[in-house]
Amino acid sequence: MSNLKLEHLDKIYDNNVQAVYDFNLDINDGEFIVLVGPSGCGKSTTLRMVAGLEDISAGKLIIDGKDVTKMPPKDRDIAMVFQNYALYGHMTIYENMAFSLNLRKENKNVIHQKVLAAAEILDLTSQLNKKPSQLSGGQRQRVAMGRAIVRTPKVFLFDEPLSNLDAKLRGATRREILLLHKRLNATMIYVTHDQTEALTLADRIVCMSMGYVQQIGTPLELYDTPANTFVAGFIGLPPMNFFDVQIKNGQAVCESFAVDLTSEEKNALKSYENKTVILGVRPENIAEGGNVSVEVFSNENLGMNTLVNGSVKNHKITCKFRDWCNYKAGDIIKVSFTRKHFFDKETTNAIR
Amino acid sequence: MTTVTDNVELIKKDRLRFSKNKLSSNLTLLAIVFNAIYFVSIYKSDVGSYYYTFLIGISIIYNLLFMLTAFLSSEGVKSYKLNYSFVLLGLGVGQIIRIFILPMSAHNVSITLGQETQRVMSDGQFMRICVYLIASAALCIIAGIVAYIKTRTLTSYEAELEQKAKGAGHE
Repeated sequence: MSNLKLEHLDKIYDNNVQAVYDFNLDINDGEFIVLVGPSGCGKSTTLRMVAGLEDISAGKLIIDGKDVTKMPPKDRDIAMVFQNYALYGHMTIYENMAFSLNLRKENKNVIHQKVLAAAEILDLTSQLNKKPSQLSGGQRQRVAMGRAIVRTPKVFLFDEPLSNLDAKLRGATRREILLLHKRLNATMIYVTHDQTEALTLADRIVCMSMGYVQQIGTPLELYDTPANTFVAGFIGLPPMNFFDVQIKNGQAVCESFAVDLTSEEKNALKSYENKTVILGVRPENIAEGGNVSVEVFSNENLGMNTLVNGSVKNHKITCKFRDWCNYKAGDIIKVSFTRKHFFDKETTNAIR
Repeated sequence: MTTVTDNVELIKKDRLRFSKNKLSSNLTLLAIVFNAIYFVSIYKSDVGSYYYTFLIGISIIYNLLFMLTAFLSSEGVKSYKLNYSFVLLGLGVGQIIRIFILPMSAHNVSITLGQETQRVMSDGQFMRICVYLIASAALCIIAGIVAYIKTRTLTSYEAELEQKAKGAGHE
């Protein structure tokens, strides 16, 4: 297991398109890092640079104090698990898992012990003589992980490993990955566009957009104190509601409502008096009862809670209520905001 | 339950459960290759003539049967099927016997071309053909023996594991 240092990494393709800008990150031994962001944000490119599958245009990649920026992938001692499993269809599960070790010409008995140990961790012992086509998607993904485990690499890289699985299996495999991390205590970097995976798996999340790192922090930090409107909108489901409001006399005022600010919020927004800022409210931070009128568009009962989609004048709003609600389209309901986030209108950065 | 052990012999046995018997299979395929070389060499006469008898037809048919059976056996022994190791031993013995049928009779026969009487098969060609058949036979026999040993080892190891599992179940 090992530490990683990604220093000022840039990726510029031959056609001068820059995919990653100045990526900096220190990863501690045994840490589970999740790179999250929408498609095209540069997360997979960053992972591939760490793996050595993409050249690093500028910057340094240091593993265990050793600069591996120019080192070929096979010498980096890194194992990668791909979205499409990348298993050999004509080989058995045993042969697939032993493949990389056979290539290295390791002792057959050692390979055997390693494969059996990995198979036991992943509950694949009874599947070892089968071909990949005889396994389910989740089992195939476990084989792909097993192939990585047998190598006992310094770092595990996962490139959207659960994207090919259905929702139920995705949840189960996600829990298995978490258990695997606890069991191996290995350094892992995991790429996903699914914020649920990011929030449940990560020790720290790196949220990216357009090639830039937007925020690095624990799942709670990203959820609770997002650095900007992008992170605030990306993390959390349903996403945060945004309103343009003016700060006036201790209130956040817009054309359709005015909400009182707490003393902490007043302090933070001192320099924004009479200026327009962005108010962000998470759907789960909206409570029934208050002075904000919402016209209901739709009512989605999810069992444990209800999503109410509506509008506050021209602004769309989504509320998440704990109870089972039966609002109808056209109903007007009164709500209040139990927790508010404020962002600078120009920079979109959080105001604290 | 998988247990990690330092017992090399035990690990070797356990490996058989997950690996195919490629050695026997490949040896058998090599035996087919030698048989094919024998087959394309046998009808080339040093004196530019052929020795036509019923034996030629029988030889051709046997040859096809040999290649088919040997190929099936190579697949059979790969997956540790005991019967195929006996088939391979039989095929090996058959290849030895073949030396004494067509090659030997061709080697002993002479033909007269004009004034000159010559042997149909020279000593050199006979020796080469014998080598091909012996090589093919040896490979079949070795493949059969290896397959027999490995299959028996695997079978007894699996029985042992089953016994242990039953014992653990009773406990």
